[in-house]
Amino acid sequence: MVITFPHMGRVYISVKALFDDLNVKLVVPPPVSKNTLELGTRLAPEMACLPLKINIGNYIESIKRGADTIILTGSCGPCRFGYYGVVQKEILKDLGYDVNIVILDAPNTGFKAFIDKIRMISGYSSLSSLMRAFRAAFKVTVEVDELMDIVLRKRPREKHKGETDRLLSRFEHDVLKVHGSTETLELVAIYKDKISVIAEDEKADPVRIGLVGEIYTLIEPYVNLNVEKKLGSLGVEVHRGITLTDWIKTHLSMDMKYKRARRNALDKAKPYLGRCIGGHAWETIAATVGFNEKGMDGVIQILPFGCMPEIVAESIIPTISRDLSLPAMTVTVDELTGEAGYMTRLEAFVDLLSQKKGMVS
Amino acid sequence: MKIGIPRALLWSIYLPLWKAFFNELGHEVVLSPPTNKKILNDGVTACVDDACLPVKIMHGHVIDLMDRADLIFIPRLISICPREYICPKFIGLPEMIRNSVAGGPKLLVLDFNAHKSIRHGYDGFIAIGRQLGARESAVRRALARAMKAQDEYTARLLGGSNPLMLLEGMALHAGIGGNKGTIGLIGHPYLLYDRFVSMDACRKLAQMGYRLIFPENILPEQIERTCSIYPKKLFWSYGKHLLGSGLAMLEKGMADGIIVLSSFGCGIDSFMVELLQRQNQRDFRIPLTVITLDEHSGNAGFDTRLEAFVDMLEWRDHNGHYFSPHGEGLYIC
Ligand code: SF4
Ligand code: SF4
Repeated sequence: MVITFPHMGRVYISVKALFDDLNVKLVVPPPVSKNTLELGTRLAPEMACLPLKINIGNYIESIKRGADTIILTGSCGPCRFGYYGVVQKEILKDLGYDVNIVILDAPNTGFKAFIDKIRMISGYSSLSSLMRAFRAAFKVTVEVDELMDIVLRKRPREKHKGETDRLLSRFEHDVLKVHGSTETLELVAIYKDKISVIAEDEKADPVRIGLVGEIYTLIEPYVNLNVEKKLGSLGVEVHRGITLTDWIKTHLSMDMKYKRARRNALDKAKPYLGRCIGGHAWETIAATVGFNEKGMDGVIQILPFGCMPEIVAESIIPTISRDLSLPAMTVTVDELTGEAGYMTRLEAFVDLLSQKKGMVS
Repeated sequence: MKIGIPRALLWSIYLPLWKAFFNELGHEVVLSPPTNKKILNDGVTACVDDACLPVKIMHGHVIDLMDRADLIFIPRLISICPREYICPKFIGLPEMIRNSVAGGPKLLVLDFNAHKSIRHGYDGFIAIGRQLGARESAVRRALARAMKAQDEYTARLLGGSNPLMLLEGMALHAGIGGNKGTIGLIGHPYLLYDRFVSMDACRKLAQMGYRLIFPENILPEQIERTCSIYPKKLFWSYGKHLLGSGLAMLEKGMADGIIVLSSFGCGIDSFMVELLQRQNQRDFRIPLTVITLDEHSGNAGFDTRLEAFVDMLEWRDHNGHYFSPHGEGLYIC
């Protein structure tokens, strides 16, 4: 059995650490590229959401590299994500690929099924080594997210333009060469140090923007046209409304303190949206209000074309923006989104925020 | 009080229930007119661009009702069946309307959530009945009567009728040319039974001599059964309804051809249509076409598509290329 999985930003670092620790063969799909997107766009239904299309591209590129089992997480509605696995299986079946797709639905929808599937893909490791590996992989996720926080803080402040990203891409190159969680954590620690000490321009007083929106689009740089890096290069300090760590804590952990904090954060959405409507729209609204409290200069919402829950959020954001005098912009991405137009919109928004900030200070 | 019911989204399925409920409580019900150009334009202007056509049209109907009703009824149909949903946009509908329709329309929002159990769902009616100032016992009585009206309506749909005939008094008998065959028309009710949006497809096909069969005519048990081929429960009630009724039509040979009307940008359809097409391609291979509708669709192009489809059906008939939909088609490539 050779396992693969769909890309979502830097999730591959944790997944790789996990399966290395469990001694299970894994194919990390090649980074999402034009080829991945083209494969997906050609094979998936035209109106499917962008993440599904890119997943398909990932699978095919991984199958070509020997993978025979695909794992992905699921849910039971209301959004499409919960049915990705089934639709993807049908597509692969008609293409003649004989692969096994294991859909990991959240443990609360069937704990035993969850454990059985995990045991199966882990090559029937003992429960204790499983737990150990999962805990270590979670630690990797937390550490990588912290590394990214440092990167996001550094980019608008670095003295020598591009230094942070040079180190980040060296990290992404090196991380595929290490084995298991221990080595991965060591490497992350090294790069955290390296990036932390990058020389800063003392006069820098960056504009601060909060990113909200559909989780996959926010987390996968290829799909959001590397929005964090682009904004960083425009001198913006980016704050993320949702991270992988959040996602894992919400869906897989029993961390009660986190759950309470999350409830409180979601309560902020109440005047505008008081319930889950699928996807992460509730989080989007809550984070928009939360970003205002944290003193952000503006908020950008990113969604893939046709994303049902985020369209609801998109209707609400202008009201919040008016109520709180918080500049907000929505960007919809699809397979045809061009670099140039996208960059122009970001620049215009950042300009607006800088002017506003200049007037205040 | 005058309660406005927008003639949009699932009105054609639930009108008897909603109307009887409000009438029983002593309120007058006003319906917005059938969708027209102005309603469409108003909706498109008010609503966010990324939304699908039916949701935009809903906005237009709300705008139409604003100065004709004291309250506008907005059903938030979170779930109409245990462990299922309809669509995220149905759950966020009142929020979309509140934030996009200028002038602060006064909404009467029904929260219908049968995700846990059907009984839970009806609690929503009790709540709005109380909100309208009625005593709980009176609300329960009104609800019981309304549910009876709805049951009768549903039974007539399952008996082969359709909302166009029952609510709009439209005759849909196969017209000149006699009965040439049966076409399965599949899509969300707000596409099929909105004559403006569907560009009167039902009447046109009937006039071309075809009998029509709709998802609303297929028994729920049959839908459950056909959908059980998938390894995971379909958790969108209408998605399941479309796919399941399509599969039932294929399996039972109920239709000579299938036309799917789908809304551009519909997240649910993108999956359901894909699964239906693949199943047809594998096991049945009967003519199946998908027509995608959006606010720019024109009558001329639409008619051409319908005619081309009907021509294909007739051509197949005449040339003996008709093969039974019971599986032999599998080997013909
Ligand atoms: S949240 Fe958006 S992108 Fe994700 S499954 Fe739903 S529609 Fe697709
Ligand atoms: S089911 Fe499709 S057409 Fe209906 S509201 Fe949802 S996205 Fe729009």
